Amino acid sequence: MAARFRVLLSALALSIVALSCARPPAEVAIPRTADGKPDLQGIWQVRNRASVDLEDHVARHGMPAGRGVVQGGPIPYQAWAAAKKTENAASRQTSDPLANCYLPGVPRIMYMEFPFQIFQTPDHLAMTFEWSQVHRTIYTNRAPAPEGIDFWMGDSRGRWEGDTLVVDVRNHNERTWLDMAGNFHSAALHLVERYTMTDADTIQYEVTIEDPSVFTRPWTIAMPLHRLTEADRIFEYQCQAEAEEASGAFEPEARTWYPGPSALMKIPPEWNGESAQAASKPPAPKGEIRRLADGKPDLQGYFMSDGGGANYGLGTHEVDFLTPPGRGVIIDPPDGLLPMQAWATIEAEDRKTPERGYDDPTAHCFVAGVPRSMYVPSPLQILQPPGYVVVLHERMSWRTIPLDGRAHLPDHLRLWQGDSIGRWEGDTLVVETTNLNGKTWLNEVGEIVSHAERVVERFTPVDADTIHYEATVSDPLVYTRPWTIAFPLNRQTDELLEVACHEDNQDLQHLKEIRDAARAKRRS
Amino acid sequence: MRASRLAGIVLALVWGALPAGAHHSFSAEYDSKKPLTLTGTVTEMRWANPHAWIYIDIVGKDGKVEKWAWETGGANALYRRGWRKQDLVAGTVLVIDGFQARNGSRTANATSITFKDGKRLFAGSSSQNSATK
Repeated sequence: MAARFRVLLSALALSIVALSCARPPAEVAIPRTADGKPDLQGIWQVRNRASVDLEDHVARHGMPAGRGVVQGGPIPYQAWAAAKKTENAASRQTSDPLANCYLPGVPRIMYMEFPFQIFQTPDHLAMTFEWSQVHRTIYTNRAPAPEGIDFWMGDSRGRWEGDTLVVDVRNHNERTWLDMAGNFHSAALHLVERYTMTDADTIQYEVTIEDPSVFTRPWTIAMPLHRLTEADRIFEYQCQAEAEEASGAFEPEARTWYPGPSALMKIPPEWNGESAQAASKPPAPKGEIRRLADGKPDLQGYFMSDGGGANYGLGTHEVDFLTPPGRGVIIDPPDGLLPMQAWATIEAEDRKTPERGYDDPTAHCFVAGVPRSMYVPSPLQILQPPGYVVVLHERMSWRTIPLDGRAHLPDHLRLWQGDSIGRWEGDTLVVETTNLNGKTWLNEVGEIVSHAERVVERFTPVDADTIHYEATVSDPLVYTRPWTIAFPLNRQTDELLEVACHEDNQDLQHLKEIRDAARAKRRS
Repeated sequence: MRASRLAGIVLALVWGALPAGAHHSFSAEYDSKKPLTLTGTVTEMRWANPHAWIYIDIVGKDGKVEKWAWETGGANALYRRGWRKQDLVAGTVLVIDGFQARNGSRTANATSITFKDGKRLFAGSSSQNSATK
């Protein structure tokens, strides 16, 4: 009996061996998209010290030790370039582009010790980075790279080779570094990135770095990217804004900035009814609208707001020299005027003086906030990856809008772009944004919002190429009632370019001179 | 009368070519009463945002070289209007028009540039312009 059982067992074992020989090794389960591609969507971060130095390194001040990620020996610099690298390392505290909060470039952004989120559609992979609201798009739609223009973040064109996403990154400028240690490249840089999921929570990330002006041969770095399984959002690290607040170059506005957890500003309950009333009737479609496979409206594409000069005044305004006129975008209250409280009217008048131009956060190249991001005169891109609507602004900033019904962040967590959560009401995307920090202005003439602001936006497609956009702003610190603006977002054919703003911002110095001269005059 | 009509035309052109971040402070910086057209040689083009800058040498009335700095719309607005790096290398001769700085320095806000072959490119962008392509 026992012997027969043993024979049976060994037969079973044999058949298992036979089975496993007949088939390829069992595949590790990785998530896949509807079209069968590896699904890279999620929040990712390295767990290494590549951002300090791509090569093996001991600790130095502000630079923790770590193992290198360069494959097969030292970085193959040409002789002059090796000397330049040593020079960079010595002066890094001032000459590292990141020490000045400049855009990090690719590949450096990929292994900084800040998380980033990948959103995936069949045509695009969008990456939104916690670092300074940087974003990066990998086009997988076979569109060609533009010519005659370069970018801090390069231009990325991807294709799938089996289960590996292979990305060519070109059109770099010569101003970014590869790490804190001064490793660098020229504008001739060409990268080939390879993204391969090795399990559900790991992407093996490899980059071949080719730059015949600086290196003697192409070389490769490789490292895993790990999924942050515990995170459902990434936050903001607005490098330049934090630096200028710390140095005093950007001054707090005590009446609008979030003062801390003691500030419990509640929206009066009767305001909700009023704001809902203002936006109660979605516009009727004027033509066929685009739809996704699941029947929801397809809002994807490049858009330019016809914001009617809203960035220079939400109400109707005449042209001023070098400033556009505005037709007025306020649809509620019916008189088209912002229902400001008395103190805010006085403050808004003061902000119109030339010397206050310096105080507009966008003059410092900080992000525009909500709803201003939607009507600054620069294009935006909308993507609808599974579970989200993502808005990428050409003026380097992003909004990621989850549709999963999650709760807003706790009230004490405040962000420049706020916390946006969306839902569909029929064919209208409704987005509620809270947790704003009150640091942004509504436009260049200084119309006001505070940390008490709550914004409800409605995106309704009215034909294949137009989205009717409305935003109702409720801010009981600044206004006597909620108000609503409306304008179309018009489809564009152009891809987004890159606005690297703070990196070469000569205007701020001029605005500062105007402000300082006015202050000096007042003192004397 | 004639001058004001001309100013109107110039202003209409300016609306069509506003720098992307045209700030109200521009009116503090540049003078609508000082329209200016110069012919010169590009020494440097700084492709920057929010506004780009063209540096131009002109030969003054006394025969001496004057160095001028012209502010334009942002690099992206220029690119979309057909500006290309290879067309604006140092040594390029062009006509540039716009408005001079109030402080009397050799600084101006550009409305357009015109190349020797007569091709004219506007120097900025505005919300209404970009929206109407």
